[in-house]
Amino acid sequence: MPDVILKNLPFLLQGLWLTLTLSVWSIALGTALGLVVGTVRFVRLPVLNAAALVYVEFIRGTPLLVVLFITYFALPALFGYHTTAYRAAVLGFVLFIGAYLAEDFRSGLRAVRPTLIQAGLATGLTRWQVLRFIILPQAIRRVLPSLFNQYVRLIKFTSVASVIGVTELTGAGLLVNAREFQPVTILASIAVVYLVVCMLLSLAGRALYARFAVRT
Amino acid sequence: MTYQFDWTPIWEARGLIAEGLLVTVAVSAVSLAFSVVIGFIVGGAASAGSRTMRGLALLFTETMRNIPLLIHMYIWYMAFAFLRLPAFSCAVLGLSLYSGAYVAEVVRTGIGAVGRGQIQAALASGLTRLQAMRLIIYPQALRIIAPSLASLFSQLIKDSSLASVIAVAELTYQAGAIDGQTFRTFEVYITISLIYLVLVTAASQLVLLIPGSRSEAAAGRFADA
Amino acid sequence: MLKRLSTPLAAAAVAIAAILAAAPAAHAQAPDTLAQIKQRGKLIAGVKFDTPPFGFLDEKNEPAGFDLDIVRGIAKHIGVPVEFVKVTSPTRIPLLVSGNVDLSAASMTHTIERDKTIDFSITYYTGAQALIVPKTSAIKGLKDLGGKQVSVQQGTTLEKNLAKAAPDAKVVAFKDYNSAWLALVQGRVDALTGSVNILQGFQKDNPNFVILPERFSVEPFGIGVRQGDSNLRDAINFALMDMWKSGEYAELYRKWFHADPEVPVEVWP
Repeated sequence: MPDVILKNLPFLLQGLWLTLTLSVWSIALGTALGLVVGTVRFVRLPVLNAAALVYVEFIRGTPLLVVLFITYFALPALFGYHTTAYRAAVLGFVLFIGAYLAEDFRSGLRAVRPTLIQAGLATGLTRWQVLRFIILPQAIRRVLPSLFNQYVRLIKFTSVASVIGVTELTGAGLLVNAREFQPVTILASIAVVYLVVCMLLSLAGRALYARFAVRT
Repeated sequence: MTYQFDWTPIWEARGLIAEGLLVTVAVSAVSLAFSVVIGFIVGGAASAGSRTMRGLALLFTETMRNIPLLIHMYIWYMAFAFLRLPAFSCAVLGLSLYSGAYVAEVVRTGIGAVGRGQIQAALASGLTRLQAMRLIIYPQALRIIAPSLASLFSQLIKDSSLASVIAVAELTYQAGAIDGQTFRTFEVYITISLIYLVLVTAASQLVLLIPGSRSEAAAGRFADA
Repeated sequence: MLKRLSTPLAAAAVAIAAILAAAPAAHAQAPDTLAQIKQRGKLIAGVKFDTPPFGFLDEKNEPAGFDLDIVRGIAKHIGVPVEFVKVTSPTRIPLLVSGNVDLSAASMTHTIERDKTIDFSITYYTGAQALIVPKTSAIKGLKDLGGKQVSVQQGTTLEKNLAKAAPDAKVVAFKDYNSAWLALVQGRVDALTGSVNILQGFQKDNPNFVILPERFSVEPFGIGVRQGDSNLRDAINFALMDMWKSGEYAELYRKWFHADPEVPVEVWP
């Protein structure tokens, strides 16, 4: 392992840890948000559908960096609350990935064959039961590959949190480089770490998909 | 905490916003061109007969796609600093390689989607493999992938905001500058969000100008790249 | 195309309307951060992590610097521990205004322009602006800057001062001091301008660069607090005065700048 990495290993590992915790929180909460919003859009609940549409359209047309600037600088100033860079980053990522996942869930829900829905209704299940037991499980299995795509994308996006001062992997590396001036080694090492983490997650996704895939 | 809205400083800074907008469009357009070229080359290689070509293509796409875009830009800007590339070029290089890998995937599936019979017929009528690709397969693949290109352009416009970090004076950078002078944080960032929204929507419509692409299934407006 | 534009634009309009409606109505109430700090039991200070010797990361990647030591003294005076949050020149005021930090001790010059948005403590450091160039450079002073590229940090008084002092120079602004310094090291710009002690911090480990003797503009540094935050501002001022009277200030000054303070901290009877 190169000298400069060894010397600063604790600090860099702390950064990696922040990257992972950021990712896990954002993926978990973002998936929950996406599922709720996607379902709301699919079922077309009266007022909530409009709110969901506004949310999804706004976020999907905005760069992630701008979303983070809004959650870190603009919103706290507007609503008068205190936040840390980390929490603002989590909020930003959750809102960001939530919108994209919502669209994925919505297309998954729409892809479920209407005959299945009708069959469910015919056997006396209520609309909500049909949604819960027939449509959702199918939809979720169908969109599993897209979900994992988004998750891998999120891990890469955590690097942007360094711009608002979160000392995750990229932020930590840049701070170390500020003192040590070894950009080639440091950036290459960081790139390798992202490569490994992302590829592992992709493989996990593919394995899961193989097990749970919807056979049409 | 009180917050008084004041939009006038934003209006007064409209010159800076316009400049930033121009640079954003420039970065995105140039990167789009390069991405498509890279995508077609690598996508073509990924569909080639030779195992080595396919392997190299796979290596390229996996590496480029799994490294965050920010790291791409920093690598050109800091690690390759001896090349003395201006920040604009570093941003374009990073964006092109990153997006090019995604285009390559789309091109690969696009080429696969063009009927097998096409390439057999082309080769049978005496064209070389290269000619067959260039004259028959690529144009059809282009039409098939056109909707994805629309979302690619939209995605590039959003990704270009990262160029602000290496001091390219595009839209997000100017927003930071205006915020630094006027301290109208909320107004500044909401304004540029709206501008990005308009840009992205416009961009996704433009690519549908490619002849024949309207008949293809329209993909979503935004990429999941 | 207009039809497709209408959905996202409508979306944006509704979003803004919703936010404007939800935001609390403007009311004239002065913030009392000091009470908040005491209640919370912790002072949250915005400092630089990339501007030696005011705020930077040391060999062990721990935050250190003159600003931090001053803030530690202030926190001791208030009687709470302190937590440091990283800021950069462009973010040191927005983060203060948004309430993410209680004060900003970030090599910040007290200017009349900035006083419109935030309030400042008394001056705790007086610096001067200077230029740093590679040893081999032909630039010997402000007059040689015509047509040359000078890097500077975005959001500082330095940008405007340089524009006034050397109107023919091309100014390149960066998001943080480090990027501006790297630009000089990598040869992307011909010179870097900044407060003289900051330039000394960069030059310490880099003897290939020399700080030009010319000084232009005077930079009185102040600690930033929110507009109207009197109680906290008083606490900071009294702490600074105590530190001067006890000699602690002069010690810190010598520790970080290797010289005695030329301009004393003002002391009120």
